[in-house]
Amino acid sequence: MNIHEYQAKRIFKKFGVNIPAGLIAYTPTEAKNAANSIASEGPWVVKAQIRAGSRDMGKFLDKRAGKRGGIRLSKTLDEVFSNADDMLENMLITNQTGAKGRLVSRVYVEEYIKTVAKFYVGIAIDRVKASVVVVISKIVDKGCEEFVEFISNDKDSVFMLDIGIEKEIKIAQAQKIADFMQVKTTGKQVKDFINKLLKIFYAVDATEIEINPIGLTKNGEIWALDADIYFDKNALYKHSEIRALTTDEEIEERELIASKFGFQYKELNSGVGIIVNGDGLALNTINEAQNIGMDTACFLNLKGGVDRDKIAAGIKLIMTNPKVDGIFINILGGFLRCNLIADGIITVANDLGLNIPLIIRFEGTNKDEATEILEKSGLSFLIAEDTKSGLYLLKKAIEEDF
Amino acid sequence: MSVLIDKKTKVLVQGITGTQASFHIQRAMKYGTKVVGGVVPNKTDDTYLGVPLFETVKEAKEKTKANASIVFVPSRSAKNAIIEAIEAEIELVVVITSGIPVADMMEIRNRLIGSKTTVVGPNTPGIITPDEAYMGIFPDNIHKRGKIGIVSRSSTLTYEVVLELNKIGLGQSSIIGLGDDFIIGTNFIDIIKKFNKDKETDCIILIAGIGGNYEIEAAREYAKIKHGKPVIALMINDPTPLSRFDGIASEIICDCITDTEEKRDILTASGMIVVDSIEALKEELLK
Repeated sequence: MNIHEYQAKRIFKKFGVNIPAGLIAYTPTEAKNAANSIASEGPWVVKAQIRAGSRDMGKFLDKRAGKRGGIRLSKTLDEVFSNADDMLENMLITNQTGAKGRLVSRVYVEEYIKTVAKFYVGIAIDRVKASVVVVISKIVDKGCEEFVEFISNDKDSVFMLDIGIEKEIKIAQAQKIADFMQVKTTGKQVKDFINKLLKIFYAVDATEIEINPIGLTKNGEIWALDADIYFDKNALYKHSEIRALTTDEEIEERELIASKFGFQYKELNSGVGIIVNGDGLALNTINEAQNIGMDTACFLNLKGGVDRDKIAAGIKLIMTNPKVDGIFINILGGFLRCNLIADGIITVANDLGLNIPLIIRFEGTNKDEATEILEKSGLSFLIAEDTKSGLYLLKKAIEEDF
Repeated sequence: MSVLIDKKTKVLVQGITGTQASFHIQRAMKYGTKVVGGVVPNKTDDTYLGVPLFETVKEAKEKTKANASIVFVPSRSAKNAIIEAIEAEIELVVVITSGIPVADMMEIRNRLIGSKTTVVGPNTPGIITPDEAYMGIFPDNIHKRGKIGIVSRSSTLTYEVVLELNKIGLGQSSIIGLGDDFIIGTNFIDIIKKFNKDKETDCIILIAGIGGNYEIEAAREYAKIKHGKPVIALMINDPTPLSRFDGIASEIICDCITDTEEKRDILTASGMIVVDSIEALKEELLK
């Protein structure tokens, strides 16, 4: 998961990283007041807060906002007001949000920092080597895809420093970064800045920190003009303050419920609801469905489930989704025992009734036991031998159902 | 011969008394796996499931001559359990536990440099040599012995492939689940090299996972192998934005190759045969 820019910046500030003065605002009037209290004169920057990148290049759904994106330089207080008014309660569509876009429920108003150069800075993990890598690039203010295209054409525009699992960089390494940037900043300034980021990286169990961009002032000071932190979900148990940031209205309610039970749930279009127990199986089932002309409404990944009640609650999510017109339960039980799924299905069906076709395919751990439980239940369903035949059965059943 | 495990492998179980461990270990013993002991700190009994219990891996290894260990310890204490096994110089450690923090796995990977231990996993279904033994949580009624080696980042897709292979009468030499986590102990190429040396393996199936640079590295290293056995890589399309978890820096580290199409090209260029469905995989095998 990642968090809002302003939330990431609050963390940055705690660790002493230079960030522009800024305040969050929920209404245009609040935005104007915020600007006024940040600096007596402009310009200011009004930034839409959504949990997705490429905001600057984004477009708003409601045309009242004009053609400009979600990050706007505002010279006067009135401009701050009107820009905030354009953005708030509007949907911002960027290449990372999908076609629907994301609702802008708050804007971040910042002082404008005059800079002489900008760079992209990222700290991430090389998964194969299990080492931390510092990434610096001369390409800034670009979305992911554009960025990557630029880099593919110009390898010299990126500098990477593999630091293993060291907690700090040394002055010689920092000097290399400074040399790469070719601007008036010293190795010591770079070292201090990067080491603050590394301190954050380890302290919050991040898997990636990115700043797109940092700005350098004419005396070489380094400012984080943007901030994004991706957290390791396996380590969130150590960080209650970060967990609290995730309870946000932007996360789809159903996805939130599923994640509470420890399951992965994704909504796609409308069509079949797929319940599986693994990422790979999910992809394969969605692809096979597509091959025979069936769209997927959503899928639920019950991987690692051991608790009957939680499994039942997960299945309920799919059964209560109005966009689902048939369900395919495709379980290859290893760790997950098929009989627990069978129990879950019966619990939910007894609770809600089952009025759409249900196809079940069980293989593996406790398969026979599971089939027996279902057969005794008197529930209306069909058993499939494998993924393909299951989807065919479901297709037929849905067509007959209409 | 087989890869990593056979019926002679002497297996310890770390965290044997847990509900999940008990269930799956009993099945594995019935299958033929030689379980020689359990490790439980602060044990209250001397035996469990008919095998002796020990307080430490070191003691267990001395008393039982175990050369492998399977870890079922909960995620928050898994790091210490794995490091204990590395320090006791257990040759093979298979980690079933899921949800281990990335920072813990980074530390473990660094502890493995220069050690005598291979760590498979975490978050893996385990490893199996059909009709001999397994360390893991496999559905045990589906595997058949044969000549195909499988190395995979996706557990369920592996089961699916095995079931389809059975239909066309092709059994497996060994199946190695690498695990589905952000950082894993053993990468594809280590296992491909082992299958290359294994006399019982004719052909290798690589089942790709979502995200990361594991497949890219496998391709790069495979290209360097001379007279390698054929590798068929199964890389299923990713129609959902599932893989887009990361920011730009992660993408740059993966050589900017993160979508399935680009990964396929790299694998093909390395000499692997790349397929995008189980159907195509079967066709390729029957050639």
